[in-house]
Amino acid sequence: MEGAYAMLKLGLGKYRSIVVLITLFLVFDVGVLGMTFVISRQLTADAISINLAGQHRYLVQKLAKTALLIDQDATQGTFDSSGRSSLNEVKDLIATADRFNAIINTFDGGAKLPDMTEELALTPSQDEQAAAMFALVKDLWAPINSEVQSLNQPKDGHRPDVGPLLQVLIPSNLNLLASSHLLTSRLEALSAAKAARLRGGQMAGMAAALINFAFILYSFLGQLRKSDQAVERAQRETEDILRTTQEGLFLLDPDFRMGSQTSHALSRIIGVEAKGGENFLDLLKPLVTPKTYDTTKEYIELLLRHDVKEKLVASLNPLDCIEISAVRPSGAVESRFLQIRFNRVLQGNKVTHLLVTVNDITRRVKLERELKDSERRVQDQMGMMVNILQADPRQLQDFLRAASDGLNQINEDLRTASPTTGVSTPRVDAMMRIAHRLKGDAAALQLEAVSQSLHAFENVLQELRVLTRRSSEDLLPVAVRVKGLYAEIAAIQDVIARIGQVRGVVSVEPPKPPHDPEVAALAFVRQWRSFAQQLAQRHEKAVELSYQGIDVEQLSPQLRDAVNTAVNQFIRNAVVHGVEKPADRKMRGKSEAGRLSVYVSDQGDGTIELSFRDDGRGINPEKIRAAAIRSGRLSPEAAKAFDARQLTLMIFEPGLSTREHVDEDAGRGVGLDAVKDLITRLGGRIRIGTTSGEYCHFRVQLPVKVEPRDDHIDAPIKEVA
Amino acid sequence: MALKLMIVDDSNIIRSKITRTLTQHDMQVVATASNGEDAVKLFGAHKPDVVTMDLTMPRMDGLECIRALRKIDPSISILVVSALADKATAIQALKEGAQGFLCKPFSETDLTEAMEELLGEDAHG
Repeated sequence: MEGAYAMLKLGLGKYRSIVVLITLFLVFDVGVLGMTFVISRQLTADAISINLAGQHRYLVQKLAKTALLIDQDATQGTFDSSGRSSLNEVKDLIATADRFNAIINTFDGGAKLPDMTEELALTPSQDEQAAAMFALVKDLWAPINSEVQSLNQPKDGHRPDVGPLLQVLIPSNLNLLASSHLLTSRLEALSAAKAARLRGGQMAGMAAALINFAFILYSFLGQLRKSDQAVERAQRETEDILRTTQEGLFLLDPDFRMGSQTSHALSRIIGVEAKGGENFLDLLKPLVTPKTYDTTKEYIELLLRHDVKEKLVASLNPLDCIEISAVRPSGAVESRFLQIRFNRVLQGNKVTHLLVTVNDITRRVKLERELKDSERRVQDQMGMMVNILQADPRQLQDFLRAASDGLNQINEDLRTASPTTGVSTPRVDAMMRIAHRLKGDAAALQLEAVSQSLHAFENVLQELRVLTRRSSEDLLPVAVRVKGLYAEIAAIQDVIARIGQVRGVVSVEPPKPPHDPEVAALAFVRQWRSFAQQLAQRHEKAVELSYQGIDVEQLSPQLRDAVNTAVNQFIRNAVVHGVEKPADRKMRGKSEAGRLSVYVSDQGDGTIELSFRDDGRGINPEKIRAAAIRSGRLSPEAAKAFDARQLTLMIFEPGLSTREHVDEDAGRGVGLDAVKDLITRLGGRIRIGTTSGEYCHFRVQLPVKVEPRDDHIDAPIKEVA
Repeated sequence: MALKLMIVDDSNIIRSKITRTLTQHDMQVVATASNGEDAVKLFGAHKPDVVTMDLTMPRMDGLECIRALRKIDPSISILVVSALADKATAIQALKEGAQGFLCKPFSETDLTEAMEELLGEDAHG
């Protein structure tokens, strides 16, 4: 009962005013109808009254006429001796008087005429004037009636004597007629007034009902417009949300049908057109394995049951991470990872729908995998240990120090990056130079895993470099890589520390310092030769490296590091770009193996000179011109204006490579610029001599005493003994 | 009053881990079983309020055991505690009448939270 009342109250709600107005409209209509009924009954009564009053006039005349006829018969002797015809006329007289009496009785209230179908309150009693006129008629009538009634018992053979009747009738006949006439006229006037009142009342009632109806219409249309606006606004908001959200969103009903509205991102994320109203399982079928399909169906059915705990079954969602092949707008097919999640939509205690959220989690999955890969690589210490044992300890220490410094610098750049603009292009270039130099060193030390990690790191930096805006999210992959590299470097240090412990236990004598410069340089030379051979092999070339000069080992760590880095980069540059393939060299009349000559000498003026010469194809200014245009560094016009010397010097510019594709060894245009950067920082200078088709010769001069120019060179500078 | 708990798992380590964790949270372990058959026998004798249920066990597996227990007491609360090797089997267990699923391996907090969720007033969590 209470519920029904509440529902009624709830149901009325916003329609209350309309319901009130409609009720009023009905009340008005019923009022008008009721009034019409009452007045029309009165009008009927009036019509009867007028008719009866009219009859009075007629009856008075008829009575007078009949009485006179009887009297005339008597005086002229035309009276039938039997008296029969006079008898009939007397009967007629009496009948007329009876009719008159009946009308009087009816007007008085009480009696009902035989020809009246219903009892009606007749008018004379309701109006003073009419009542007075009626009373006058009755007064005039009473003596006449009395005389008529005395004729009621005639005897056969006797003439009826109408003398007394005529005595009464003649003087009052005209008065009676006039009074009856006045009564009739009065009744007619009353009736006309009532009819006018009825019309007025009807008009007013109808007008009120019409005004009311207009209100209803206005109020109803107003509410309709208001609710339409609210619905439209809600629809627009939903539409805005669905258009803007980056997630795939839709509702799913218990029959697996998708709701009529889906977010615009949905089709893009899943790579196929998803329409509202479609069966979700049909959409899913081509994307997943039959087993995942079946499990999904069961999982959804489970969620629709209200007794299972939503949170406690979330881990069973078979679509939490699925891999699909999706077609990009360009038409290319790519592998994508999607996360499809389901949340219950409740109405009361009943699960009516599931809200489905679809996200592209490819980036996250890939980062997670990369992190796992890097962890796996870190754990792969056995393989690394073998390489570490083979490497020269001093070079290894130099590399680890340089790597640690370099990573610290990159980390600092990332840490101080602006949250909105990220890092600047020159900073990214500097990071790339660090990564490239470290990669070269790692490759030279045959630390394959580290070299590969650094190569991947370079890829990430390259991707970052091409971005016009770099948000902190874009820096995330860089940070992940740096973290991985730190871990790898730490792992190497850990291995070295363990080896040190083992050495301590077995007491291996440290190697004696060598004296012969040729022998002393051997560790370096051996590494350079090995690196050159390795590179040459990879590029199907042959090279021989010769060394002459001072003991590189005896140089200060900074100089030793600089010389080593420069030579490694020159080797890479010569083997990849300079030295021709053996068949090619043979055709040009050169030995099949390219010659790389390294010479380090003390100039005696506080500087040392590193000379590196290869007998490859030298530097071709035209190739540099083309590369400069291709990379967008120079416009075709500007490039045309450059002479051979200017073009040759461009090989030290960052980001310029004459190679058309990137691999582990070259092609990013990072390398010689890193060498230039290093030498400039140490206060040295670099010269280049080349003849196209014949040779390329780098000569680097470095001061022995170096004033640190960059705050990350903090080790003391030692003089060469 | 402490809730009465029955642990059904063939691993001794898991049984003692659940016991250790949940006895600290006002639950009383009234029975433990290492297979479904024993569980059904013990269930009638101890009438626990809650059951934790492994799925892969010798002599009547978890699915069958859930079916049997639900026949005895349709209102019993069951938390499936199992490795996530086969999601389909776990979903099947929930369809048979278990209300929640906890994936092995789990931490003590995972177990306590799952139990609170399972016993919470609101069926929709």
